[in-house]
Amino acid sequence: MAFKRGKRVVVHKKSRDESWQPYMDRFLGAHGIVTDPDATKNDPDALIEVTLDGEGTHRFPQDCLRLLEK
Amino acid sequence: MEKSTCPVADHVRELAAVLEEERITVARCRQWAVDILRLMKDVASGRGGPEHFPAMTDLAEKLAGECEDPMSADLGNRVLSGLREHKEVFLSHLETLNCPLGDCIELSPAPCQMACPAGIDVPGYVTLIGQGRDGDAVELIRQDNPFPWVCGLVCTHPCEFMCARGRMDKPVAIKDLKGFAAERAMSAGSYRNPERAPDNGRKVCIIGAGPAGLTAAYYLALKGYRVTVIEALPMAGGMMMVGIPRYRLPREVIDREVAMIEDLGVEFRYNTRLGKDTTIDALRGEGFEAFFIAVGAQSSYKMGIPGEDDFPQVIDAIDLLRRVALGERHSPGKRVAVIGGGNVAMDAARTCIRLGCEEVTVVYRRSRADMPANPEELEQAEEEDVRFSFLTVPVRIGGGDGKVTTLHCLRTELGPEDASGRRRPIPVEGSDFSMQVDAVIPAIGQTVDKTGLDSLSDLNWSRRNTIRVDRASLETSVHGIFAAGDVVLGPATVVEAIGGGKRAAEAIDRFFEEIPQPKMPPVPVRRQRLGFLELSASTKMTLARAEMQMLGYDRRRITFQQVELGLSENSARAEAKRCLRCDICVRCGTCVDICRDKMGVDALHLGYLNFDRPGPTDLRVAAERCILCGACAANCSTGAMRMEDIGGERVLSLCGTVLNRLELEHCMECGTALGPARYHDFIRKRTEGVGTDTGEKILCMACARKAAAKAHGEILPPVA
Repeated sequence: MAFKRGKRVVVHKKSRDESWQPYMDRFLGAHGIVTDPDATKNDPDALIEVTLDGEGTHRFPQDCLRLLEK
Repeated sequence: MEKSTCPVADHVRELAAVLEEERITVARCRQWAVDILRLMKDVASGRGGPEHFPAMTDLAEKLAGECEDPMSADLGNRVLSGLREHKEVFLSHLETLNCPLGDCIELSPAPCQMACPAGIDVPGYVTLIGQGRDGDAVELIRQDNPFPWVCGLVCTHPCEFMCARGRMDKPVAIKDLKGFAAERAMSAGSYRNPERAPDNGRKVCIIGAGPAGLTAAYYLALKGYRVTVIEALPMAGGMMMVGIPRYRLPREVIDREVAMIEDLGVEFRYNTRLGKDTTIDALRGEGFEAFFIAVGAQSSYKMGIPGEDDFPQVIDAIDLLRRVALGERHSPGKRVAVIGGGNVAMDAARTCIRLGCEEVTVVYRRSRADMPANPEELEQAEEEDVRFSFLTVPVRIGGGDGKVTTLHCLRTELGPEDASGRRRPIPVEGSDFSMQVDAVIPAIGQTVDKTGLDSLSDLNWSRRNTIRVDRASLETSVHGIFAAGDVVLGPATVVEAIGGGKRAAEAIDRFFEEIPQPKMPPVPVRRQRLGFLELSASTKMTLARAEMQMLGYDRRRITFQQVELGLSENSARAEAKRCLRCDICVRCGTCVDICRDKMGVDALHLGYLNFDRPGPTDLRVAAERCILCGACAANCSTGAMRMEDIGGERVLSLCGTVLNRLELEHCMECGTALGPARYHDFIRKRTEGVGTDTGEKILCMACARKAAAKAHGEILPPVA
């Protein structure tokens, strides 16, 4: 599974997914931790929960995230 | 010089004080003042948008110009002049979401609080638990989450991932502490509802009595709304009640917390399904002006393999969990295969064990390392003798005479990583095999059941089959209808649903008050700044994370008794003391830099301050090296680092943890307390050879000057 719980990630680009909201633009470049990955079926299309440093916890489409560590 | 304060924070304080003292008595004017305060709080907490400033100005002009009582007019004029005089500061707060003076404390809560989807003031309640004030802790939690007991048992605790203590050893057991406090407060009778605002006569209908719906009901009821909750099931709780097995969350816990919400006057209509027993139009006819849809994601995905719809022994996991939660105790079969690798699959497998199934096998198409279930769920399932067949994909369900007998499968191997970073399972040719089973339980994900909602033709849906909302305000495409929880996010967590319910209550209130909705989700609000729990550096270092006591394996396999037995009082109080109080210490590292680079002492080994690359931490080193010069405390902008003289000693502490304490030396002439000997030695070494010293005598500056003046007085001028 690409994004596992506890992994450090960065919001590296805007997503073209419909779930991307205008307020998320300010999170570009922010680092965070995956706190609730897709815990059901390992779906690349699922929205996953990420806690961003100093920005709170949000659900993002996975294509805007990149792992900071393998 | 007086410390400058932020005008935004000043206005929040002033408005709150005026309203609390009930100095404005005219209802209309009071409401305008309340609305200004609410908008001002948005600005102070980073939730405002461009329309906040004009909206506040407009309301202040009304307060100043249209209210006849002098108190309102005076307040309106003061707000108006503040807005004009400090316009740039207000706009800067709105644009940068930052308070340069750090006075708007909501803009910098602790990382654990920031991580909580419900925004609970974690350091606050952990400290209260450490002080033995469990009822106060629950009261604090319920300002942001009406389910402290439920979350104390089943929360996914994102807070613990952000806990700074985890950079030192292990994170504080925040979830377990919450469960402890809620249980104790409930038992002691100190778990109480806050006072409800007077009835405002406006009716809100909530569809779905799950965590999101119940949370919205709680906060709307507190604001004085008449709330009715419609629920298809015969009981409240939603997926908390019928999706989470009783061995993780006992029904009594949900019932007790729901009863607290019912006590606020919330009406529940059970066995009432939208679209079947009632409609939105019928509810509008009853006088409901706003609706909150929180029906969850109750429908299961199909596997899409032959035989799936041919046998009654193929039961989807959500249906099985629901039936068991409602009291059914029939075993689905002797040999059961659960398909899937997520948390619901683990719950279904562990439930089957408790129903007496002899052999329960989880069939998962990838490897163990790729399983999406939480590791602790997986471990507990293994402890209870659940078997696993990894790298296995079911292809057909076989049987005869209406009974399942076989699950035909293929072995898989993982291919190279695809674009999303996943290794796709590829079936191995000729690897087909059969498992002899009596029941098959698919657990491959849930989706929203649109039944009843499809009559709302203007309601926009996402391609994920969830309701599309503005994620900041939770408004749907239909005026006056809001939505949150799994029906918006897809299957998510209880605490996210709770956070959504709280935000929806706020948004619905704004809808009625006709004030602008926020432009982004709220930043958690710091509720209070509590004193520190004092303990030694050694104790702080050596306190190990509290271990949860667990039910014995044998009983776990045969009953639905709660597996986690809770923390003991001693371990809970000690656990609370492990908190590093990041609500006060913002981990800027100034103290470390000054001690090491400016003073050259290097007494502060606080490697946990670096979040991404933590170094070693040893709080005890300070006692060996610190000279108690006070440079760290003098440069600490938050008051986390303190140096005080207590009972003949100089004490240095970081958020209550005593790093160093040394006996004070006193002036031999006047008795004034001076620094400790170690500090004097340090100064003496540094000033060696500079001027004359006072020999063995220890003197304060004033007495040293006097002594020097006397010595100079004895020198006679040379005779001509």
